[in-house]
Amino acid sequence: MQRSTCSTLFALALALSAGAAAATTSPWCQSGKPVKVAGLNWESGELLTELVATVLEQGYGCRVERVPSNTITIENALAQNDIQLVAEEWVGRSEIWNKAAAAGKVKAVGNVIVGATEGWYVPEYVVKGEKTRKIRPAAPQLQAVSDLPKYKQLFRDNEEPDKGRFLNCPSGWTCEGVNSQKLKAYGLTDSYVNFRPGSGAALDAAVASAYQRGQPVLFYYWSPTALMGKYRFIQLTEPAYNEACFKTLTDRNQAKPCGSAAPEAVIQAGVSRVFHDADPVLIDFLGKFNVPLPLLNAALAGMANNPGSAAVQSRRFFATRPDIWRAWVPDDVAQRIAARNTGK
Amino acid sequence: MDFFVPLDLREPINQAVDSLVVRYGDRLHVLNDLILQGLLLPLERALRGAPPWVILLVVALLAWRATRRWQVALPLTVACYLIGCFGLWDALMQTLALVLVATVLAVVAGLPLGIVAAHSRRLRAVVLPVLDVMQTLPTFVYLIPAVMLFGLGKVPAILATVVYAICPLVRLTDLGLRQVDPDVQEAAHSFGTTRWQMLLGVQLPLAWPSILAGVNQTVMMALSMVVVASMIGARGLGEEVLAGIQTLDVGRGLQAGLAIVLLAVAIDRITQGFGRVRRPIRDEERRS
Repeated sequence: MQRSTCSTLFALALALSAGAAAATTSPWCQSGKPVKVAGLNWESGELLTELVATVLEQGYGCRVERVPSNTITIENALAQNDIQLVAEEWVGRSEIWNKAAAAGKVKAVGNVIVGATEGWYVPEYVVKGEKTRKIRPAAPQLQAVSDLPKYKQLFRDNEEPDKGRFLNCPSGWTCEGVNSQKLKAYGLTDSYVNFRPGSGAALDAAVASAYQRGQPVLFYYWSPTALMGKYRFIQLTEPAYNEACFKTLTDRNQAKPCGSAAPEAVIQAGVSRVFHDADPVLIDFLGKFNVPLPLLNAALAGMANNPGSAAVQSRRFFATRPDIWRAWVPDDVAQRIAARNTGK
Repeated sequence: MDFFVPLDLREPINQAVDSLVVRYGDRLHVLNDLILQGLLLPLERALRGAPPWVILLVVALLAWRATRRWQVALPLTVACYLIGCFGLWDALMQTLALVLVATVLAVVAGLPLGIVAAHSRRLRAVVLPVLDVMQTLPTFVYLIPAVMLFGLGKVPAILATVVYAICPLVRLTDLGLRQVDPDVQEAAHSFGTTRWQMLLGVQLPLAWPSILAGVNQTVMMALSMVVVASMIGARGLGEEVLAGIQTLDVGRGLQAGLAIVLLAVAIDRITQGFGRVRRPIRDEERRS
């Protein structure tokens, strides 16, 4: 007992002294070099980039340049230190990242998003009903993907009326192949149409429209996203993640895949090796940088609803949630950010 | 203080679309079902169910009937056969069904509109600018609301196609009718024709080549919408192109694209043939 108190005190002292040392200045920014940040173009990436950039600019007095580009180019540029920072990196999902990480050219820091999910969803009212809109639960027993054959009439595809419709990812997305294999693995090819919506916008529109009308819909989705913040969905349970089985799902040519949920997503901040070694202060911040998932989803929903960009949501976040962002940075840095974000 | 007065249409439009979805979405989904079950699915089933050689024979006969030249009919049939060789026959039939239904709906709506526009200057002043807007508005802008109202798949694709492709038909019908020789009309008038007789017996037949040119253009534009329509889940050749380019499988995309071109050429020759044939026959009749 006494020992543990002692070590806690010691850790506290260490943290305090580290905080004091790391307090104010970032060596990279001090030397006048700009921090080049990847301008990510999806909802959550946009917002997280904005948050990081704000801390760097207002808290550490850095010069931040946003470089818009697509993922592949960004990862290549990061490996070459052409850019220094990616605010939302799905670690291990791309070949380019894996190679660069193995060669030690890039580093992943912190846990930017914890608990990001992907899977097969139905609106909550399909299972539980909804009192305010007087929707009766259409499938109170529906829990797992293995229940789906029973409910094919509920999710009827009007182009092939004797089958249900499963809304897959648009063709060309990695998840489209995985889901097509899952349909095979779960024995759903006879009872469900593998419907590819053609584009992300069309998928969103179809789900949003069904939800607003209180109609049943079965679809693949993921968080953090605006729709996840706006609506209540229930994820259908799948067999637990199994590495061997998931390999059969990612290989389109496997005739007999076995079912498995997706592996847990590891979402971190990606930095170039050069930047990582040069600036322990900012790396310390990135190590603590994390936005709780429900808050992120809600902010993304706000982005989708309001005519307003990530910048607006970012400003609102810094003005209203100091409880979260103060934990990322030492006190004096937090003071500087607070000073810029209150009197509005 | 700003030179530009701030104007924001986003919120009102978003709210309007949302309330449309909530209020009429279910009924429009029923309409979707009706068009599907009543029109598109039977046609599609027939086309996909028929043995390919029957379809090829029909193409050959139509092409011959339209052009009266085996040198044209034969290559067109071979072109369609080639699409089958690419393994795209099923996709071809789905696309054909989509284009045919869209064209029929465009003709049903466009022909009367063109006739009315030809007879009323005031109406024309309203219709033509609206058509211009329909043709130039970026398609995706109304495709996504169409998805929210009608659901994903073929019906919103068909409706968007009609919106986009109806324009030339209305214009050319209008133009064709207004270009009918006034002397001929006066002569018909002096024989005491009624307005209907004048329209059906004199004006429409004389405007026929122009109208068919409009139909031809409408079909071509409908075909060009096929790829865009696949972005809201309409299956067929367009989906093949989309899947090809999205997975960087250029060969697959180009092959399906080529199939669309071949289909376009076939439909183009046949409809143009029907537009042209009338004249020479009439000349022969006059001579005899």
